[in-house]
Order: sequence, then structure tokens, then C-alpha cells
Amino acid sequence: MTAAAAASHPVRDMVMDAAGSGTPLRIAGRSHWMDAGRPVAASRIASLAAHSGVVDYVPGDLTITVRSGTTLREIEQITGAEGQWLPLDPHGSADGTIGATIATGSFGPLAHGFGRARDLMLGVEFVTGDGKIVRGGGRVVKNVAGFDLVRLATGSWGTLGVISEATLRLYSLPARPATLSLSVPDGANALAQRITSILSTPATPFAVEMVDAELAGRIGLPRRPQILIELGGNHAAVEAQRHALSQLGGAHDVGPEVWKQFRDIEDVPPSANGSRPPVVLRISALPTRIAELWMSTHNAIGHMDGAMMHASAGLGIVRCILPAGTPLETIQPLTSAAAGATIVFERLPSHMWPTLSPSVIADRLSQGMSRSFDPHNILNAGIMGPVH
Amino acid sequence: MTDNTALAEQLEQIVGERFLLRRKSDLLVYNSDGLPGYRRMPRLAVFPGNRDEAIRVVRTLAEHGAPYVPRGAGTGLSGGALADDIVLLGMHRLKRVISIDRENLRAVVEPGVVNLTLNRTVAPLGLIYAPDPSSEAACTIGGNVAENAGGPHCLKYGVTLNHILSITAILPDGEIVTLGNPEGETAGYDLRGAFIGSEGCFGVALDVTARLTRKPAAIRTMLADFTSVDDAARVASAIIASGIVPAALEFMDAPTIQVVESSVYAAGYPADAAAVLLIEVDGIAEGVDADRDTVREICLSGGARTVKVAQNDAERTRLWQGRKKAFGAMGRMAPHLVVQDAVIPRTRLAEVLAKIREIAEANRVVVCNVFHAGDGNLHPNIPYNADNPEEAGRVHRAMGEIMRACVAAGGSITGEHGVGLDKIGYIELIFSPDSLGAMCRLREVFDPQRRSNPGKVVPIHSCQEWRATPARRASEHVPGAGVAS
Ligand SMILES: Cc1cc2nc3c(=O)[nH]c(=O)nc-3n(C[C@H](O)[C@@H](O)[C@@H](O)COP(=O)(O)OP(=O)(O)OC[C@H]3O[C@@H](n4cnc5c(N)ncnc54)[C@H](O)[C@@H]3O)c2cc1C
Ligand SMILES: Cc1cc2nc3c(=O)[nH]c(=O)nc-3n(C[C@H](O)[C@H](O)[C@H](O)COP(=O)(O)OP(=O)(O)OC[C@H]3O[C@@H](n4cnc5c(N)ncnc54)[C@H](O)[C@@H]3O)c2cc1C
Repeated sequence: MTAAAAASHPVRDMVMDAAGSGTPLRIAGRSHWMDAGRPVAASRIASLAAHSGVVDYVPGDLTITVRSGTTLREIEQITGAEGQWLPLDPHGSADGTIGATIATGSFGPLAHGFGRARDLMLGVEFVTGDGKIVRGGGRVVKNVAGFDLVRLATGSWGTLGVISEATLRLYSLPARPATLSLSVPDGANALAQRITSILSTPATPFAVEMVDAELAGRIGLPRRPQILIELGGNHAAVEAQRHALSQLGGAHDVGPEVWKQFRDIEDVPPSANGSRPPVVLRISALPTRIAELWMSTHNAIGHMDGAMMHASAGLGIVRCILPAGTPLETIQPLTSAAAGATIVFERLPSHMWPTLSPSVIADRLSQGMSRSFDPHNILNAGIMGPVH
Repeated sequence: MTDNTALAEQLEQIVGERFLLRRKSDLLVYNSDGLPGYRRMPRLAVFPGNRDEAIRVVRTLAEHGAPYVPRGAGTGLSGGALADDIVLLGMHRLKRVISIDRENLRAVVEPGVVNLTLNRTVAPLGLIYAPDPSSEAACTIGGNVAENAGGPHCLKYGVTLNHILSITAILPDGEIVTLGNPEGETAGYDLRGAFIGSEGCFGVALDVTARLTRKPAAIRTMLADFTSVDDAARVASAIIASGIVPAALEFMDAPTIQVVESSVYAAGYPADAAAVLLIEVDGIAEGVDADRDTVREICLSGGARTVKVAQNDAERTRLWQGRKKAFGAMGRMAPHLVVQDAVIPRTRLAEVLAKIREIAEANRVVVCNVFHAGDGNLHPNIPYNADNPEEAGRVHRAMGEIMRACVAAGGSITGEHGVGLDKIGYIELIFSPDSLGAMCRLREVFDPQRRSNPGKVVPIHSCQEWRATPARRASEHVPGAGVAS
């Protein structure tokens, strides 16, 4: 980028302006999910919503470069027209931006087959807290040139820089998708066995997601716990996988629209931001612990009205969505039931942060990153925890 | 590094006399890596035998403020593991497979474990460690992590980055940190991701938790041969565009085929072909048969003369042998060999190969192309005689021109070998001063004194205050000098 072009970079101008006056910025995409992370004290919103659109898309290369304000839905439409897709399905609205998805490191059930945001990222451009436009990675599918600014930016919640552009790896849309539901047996042992047998068939599903009765009901399925499996590939591959999974018993086809409904249950439109959001926590452990975690979590919240849970069995992740107003006394036992697992609070009322979650950037290296990339501490300050 | 003798004595107390080298004659073996065009003499070499010794060694180095270079098997192809008058820290003796967790598909290994050893260890369990660099029989997992190594099967399965869940590292100041975690979850910055591919500049990997993969149910391996390089290149793009993700898609041109076929590694490639594609699909049996048919159809309608499908494991191994040993076979053509590692967008393959041909002709050199076509990761090899300065000059020029042509096509300067010393002069072709500055900031959080593998990856002048390191020579490096000799 030439000096003249750099000077008129809209994101950089925004950051430089704030840095000059020491104004802390609250970064926003489409503002669907501004209450994720700790509260941010900022006097100005830096909106990326208008910084959108495709910079470069060569379908033959299966890569796309977009500005960060581009929504996932726009990416889906543009790539879909070429028979391609970005297999990244974070919970929440498809109207969210790619910048926010990368900044928050969000992912959904497809992470089972395609990895998380960090695995689909080829290149990134972001603007550091002192107004430097930096790029990591590139536009090709393989690249080890230089230190990895791509992974550093992914999941950094905007605290190291405002993401302005990203290059992503695409896949061809599967010739023949299929969505299956398998019944969930009672008891931890039976459940563990069922998961093991699903994962050890020769099938290579795109997604394997357990949903509880409440969630099943909300997405238009019979109100009972079940395992949703997404298959894809050529006709023969899908039929063979469907056959292998049917052998396990209790399998039937459900439409692919369950995934859309699954995603939409957490869609909170920006205008509703004033309302009290649910509490969302993600518990991660080794995959062999998934049945035990599922049962203990279920025991802790199963009785609550409106509580829902789902699990990415192959990844070892249980995710709980609890109604707004869930008291601390309910959440605490849940976190102790998950002892030894990693807990990420995706949504938590501001007053609970200090009790439930110590800073996630408390270590020396993380604090160093934050100071070094955002020396004036103006980018989403405090969202991951205080920098000392 | 002030008091060399005191340092050497302290290190020797930790590792024992046998594993601390200080005599020039002993150190000579370590003055190059897989790219022997660069020679750098270490001042000392130290080889800890276990975790505890490794930690004590790094702490001792820290106390002395001594810069050092971590090293695995020394198979690197970018001059990354060279110590220029500083301490070489060899990690290859830490080679324990600490644990294998079959159910959770995890392995915890020390950095000196050889890639193929890990694969042989998990094979009886029906598992693989997916990243498979062609140097798998020698290179270490620590070196793989440091270089973010790839390999033929990374097209479908992803590179090292996609298979490492956590890393315990010794930072240059002696602190032990765990980056990432075995569950694969990261709350907070992805420091694991940042460390992978850091080429030894962020510290020393002490153990890693790797993700294992189930062996695919079925594999079909094919060899398609072409009378035109352009056709082969276009077919490679067409296969990717068809939506099939092959497990591997490798390209070899005529000079490569001929050298392989005239060597002990002869794989039965048609000696008169202009190019061959080695294509593998894997997955559930019924599905791969359909993919095999589609691939065959794309090849034949794209100009392939024949498509040979391996009928059994022996035939499959033979087809792969030529590819895996191509590099070795080239050793017969000339005393020396230089290899480039550029990446281009896949759709520009035919065009860039034509450009490489032009550059080769103009400079009167022979280029053998053998590469990961599915990734657009080119490996032009030039066999030559480095003792002939006139020839060496032409080779250097051709290498530089090839790199620039790849960058001009929208590519990158390295797909899997890393920047090291060899490509440091090219990095400014693809990154702005501010981006390189950001990489320096990242490095300095891990290694504020820049003592771990100083002078590699990012040129010194990109890091404003980064001047007084002992790696002066790296900054004086001329692109294209990375020539095997
Ligand atoms: C664990 C988790 C769960 C989620 N669940 C939901 C959900 O239930 N519903 C939902 O709608 N979304 C959810 N999200 C958000 C998710 O990332 C996407 O939905 C996202 O695409 C929303 O886009 P947005 O543009 O509206 O984000 P916003 O609400 O505008 O931003 C989300 C966060 O990302 C930061 N950010 C945005 N753009 C940038 C940028 N360019 N550079 C740096 N930082 C930036 C913001 O500061 C904010 O902290 C979740 C995210 C996480 C991490
Ligand atoms: C014939 C041949 C074929 C090859 N094919 C491929 C291929 O297909 N794909 C590919 O990616 N590469 C390939 N390579 C290159 C090389 O094998 C890889 O880069 C490999 O990862 C290097 O591993 P190593 O143990 O030899 O590391 P070394 O060469 O010893 O070191 C490489 C770098 O890693 C650092 N390092 C080593 N160990 C550690 C540690 N424990 N902690 C921190 N840093 C460390 C060093 O400082 C150095 O910067 C090939 C090389 C040869 C000779």
C-alpha cells in the first residue's frame, strides 16, 4: 500500500483520530452481540458496518478477500452463486459480520468437519491501536512467510487491532447434503457408547451436534434429546455414510433447515440490545468426557425454565444457554460440575465477571501483546480483562 | 556473550562432556542444514538429554545473556537452524513419545521425536499424524512446529498448525509456558497459533500435544500422464474446482520424471511424458470410487494420455516413491541443488510454469518442477555446479526471477520451508514495513532481548531498535544466495 493510500484508509483514519485524542473506542460490526465479553468503557463507537464488500474473489482459487463489515449472509450469497461456501456458522445471526466472527473467534457445529475460524483464515489486515495498517498471511492457501499475525488477530476481540479485511478459504458446496437425527439413549454410559460408535463409523460428518429436548423443540423437532448429523459429499459417499449411521438404530432424515433454526434461536437483533441477554457458557473438555459433562450439566440446569444446551460431541464442547436473570448461585454449581474443563463465558451480566471469570489475558505474554499492539489502550479496552 | 569458557563449563555440567561441543572439528557437522549453501559456525553446541536438562540449559543461557539457535534434525531448507558464532541448542535427544490417547486422538511428544516415528507408533492403532513433509523420515516434530511444516497430504488434512493443540515452551528467559490447551480451546489470545511457524525465534518447544487422525477407510491413488505441461496444470486446477478435495495432488515435470526414472527410485512413470500428476483421494470406499471416476474423467478430457490406478498397496507405494525421492534422485544430475518454495494462486499454475520455463531458458539453467499442485506450492529445483561461478551466477539470477514472478502472480515467498536466512531478503516483497514491524512486536513479547534465533525471518532494519544483535550477517544477506553447495 502506498503512503497516500494508507493515509485515506477509513479504518486507520478512525483509529488515528481516536489515538490522537486518547479516546477509547468500542468496535462494532452490526452490533448483534455487543454484550459478549466484559463491559467496555468507551466514549465512541467505531462502526465497521459500512466497511463492507468483496475485495477479491477468484472462484477457481477457492479463496475470497472481503472487508470486515461484510456479513456472513452476503458471503454466503456471493460464494453460493459459484457453488461454494465458507463453512463457518457461528451461533447467532447470519447478519453478523465476518470481522466480528474473526475477532471473537466464533464457530458453530461445522467446526467438527472444517475447523474453527482460525483454521479457515488465510490472511488478515488490521489496524493497530497506534494506527499502523498491518497484514499477516496472504491470499494463497499455503503460506509460512513471517510470524503469524493471522492467528494472533483471530479471537483477540479487537484488543490488538481493528480487523479491516480478511482472506478466507472456501469449499465447494457438497453435491448432496443430508441431515440426520439419531436418538440419544438414557444414561451416561449408553450415551458415551452411542457417541463413540457414531465417531468410529467410517463416516466423516461435517457436524455432529447433540441437542437437548428444549432446544430440539425450539428448532421444530420432537421434544427429546437427539444427535444431529450433517453429511456431505458425492451421492455414493452420502448414501454409504447414511447407511453406516442407520445401522446404529434410531436414525431418520430431518431437513437442513434445522441448522438455520438452530442458529436463529440466538439471534438477538441490534434493536433488542437493551433487553437482558441470556447467559451463555461454553465448556470444553477432552471428547471422552462429553457424556459425563452432558449429564452433569443437564442435572444442574435441566429443571430451569427456558434453559437449553447442545454439544459438539467430537470436539468435546458443551454449550449452555440460560435465561436472562439466571442467578450467580445457579451458574456457580454448573462451573464446579465442569471441574477440569475450560469454561468460556460467551455472555454474562457485567456484575458476574469478576466472580466467575478472572481475566483471560492475565499472563505476561498476553499482557505484553495487548500493550504492544494497543499502546494507548483504546481498543475495546477491558473486554478480555484489565491490562496491568 | 562475554565469558565463553564459564558458559561452556556450566553447560557441560548440565549435559555432560559428550554433549557439549566446543572444538571446531566437532562443530563442523552443524555448520549447515538441509540447504548447505549457507555455512555458519556455531561457537558451542549443547545437546540436552531430557526435559530438565533442556530447561537448565536455557536458564543458563539466559543468565549469561547468550543468544542461541534451537535445532531439530537440521533438515530445514531455509538456513533457519544455523548458529553464527553463537550457541546451537540441539533438541533431538528429547525423543520420548510421552503418551498416546487413542480415544481422544491426542499424542503428547517431546520435540525431538521424528515425524515418521510418531506415525509408526500410532499406525497399529489405526491412526495417523497427518502432516507428512517429504523429509518425514528425519525431521523432528519440534522442527515441524517451528516451521509449520506441510506435506503432500496437507492439501486435505491441513498443515502442522491445524494439528497442534498445545505447546509447552521454554521462553528465552527460562520461563516455562503452556500455549493453547489439549482440549483445543483458547480463551484469550491464540499464542499457540502465534508460536507455530515462529522458526525458533519465540523460544524452544519442550513438548507438544498433537491431534491424531483416523486412517481413512479407503484410498485410491492415480497417476495421470500428459504430453503437455499446460494441460497438466489446467487439469490440476480443474480437479480442485470440481469440488473434490483430493488427499494429495502432486505435479512432476519431464526433467523430474526422467531423473527419477533413471535412478534407483524408478516408479514406472512414463519416461516420455511432459508432466505427470499423482492424485490421491480418500474417505469412505463408495465415495472414493466415485471421486476416482470423476478425477479420471477430468484428467482424460483435459488431455491425459492415460490414468493409471494403483491396484494394491505395493503399487501405491511405488507410485509415491518416485515423488518422495525425487529430491534425492536429483542429486545425480549435478553436484549441487537449489530449491525454491514459492506459492501462487492455483488458477495461475499454467501461466507461472510457462514463465518459469522462459526464465530457465533465458538463464540457460535446467529447472526440475516437483510440487504440491493442489496448494499452488511450487518447488522449482535447479541442479548445477556451484564451483563454476559463472553458472552459479545464472542460477542465482534465475531463482530470484522465479520468486519475483510468483509474487507478481499474487503469491507468497514460502509455503512450507520458512523464511530462515534464505528468504529474509524476499520478505519485503510481500510485507510492508508496518507489517514487518508488527511481526517484530510479536516476537519481542516472547523474546524482548532477541536472543532466540537472532537475525532470522524478519530483517533487522524492520525492527527499529533491533540493531545490536550478533546476527549482522543475516541483514547483509543477498536474496538468492541460498544455494546448495
Ligand atoms: C461465543 C460467542 C457466541 C456468540 N453468540 C452469538 C449470538 O448468540 N448471537 C449473535 O448474533 N452473535 C453471536 N456471536 C457473535 C458472532 O461473532 C457473530 O454472530 C457475529 O458475526 C456477530 O456479528 P456483528 O457484526 O453483529 O458483531 P458485533 O456485535 O458488532 O461485534 C461483536 C464483537 O466483535 C467485535 N468486533 C466487531 N467487528 C470487529 C472488527 N472489525 N475488528 C475487531 N473487533 C470487532 C466487537 O467489538 C464486539 O465485541 C457470538 C460470538 C461468540 C464469541
Ligand atoms: C528432502 C527434504 C524434503 C523436505 N520436504 C518438506 C516438505 O514436504 N514439507 C515441509 O514443510 N518441509 C520439508 N522439508 C524441510 C524440513 O524438513 C522441514 O522444515 C522440517 O520441519 C524441519 O525439521 P527439523 O527437525 O529438521 O528442523 P531444523 O532444520 O533443525 O530446524 C528448523 C527450524 O526449526 C527451529 N527448531 C527446531 N527445533 C525446535 C524446537 N524444539 N523449538 C523451537 N524451534 C525449533 C530451528 O531453530 C529452525 O529455525 C524438506 C527437507 C528436505 C531435506
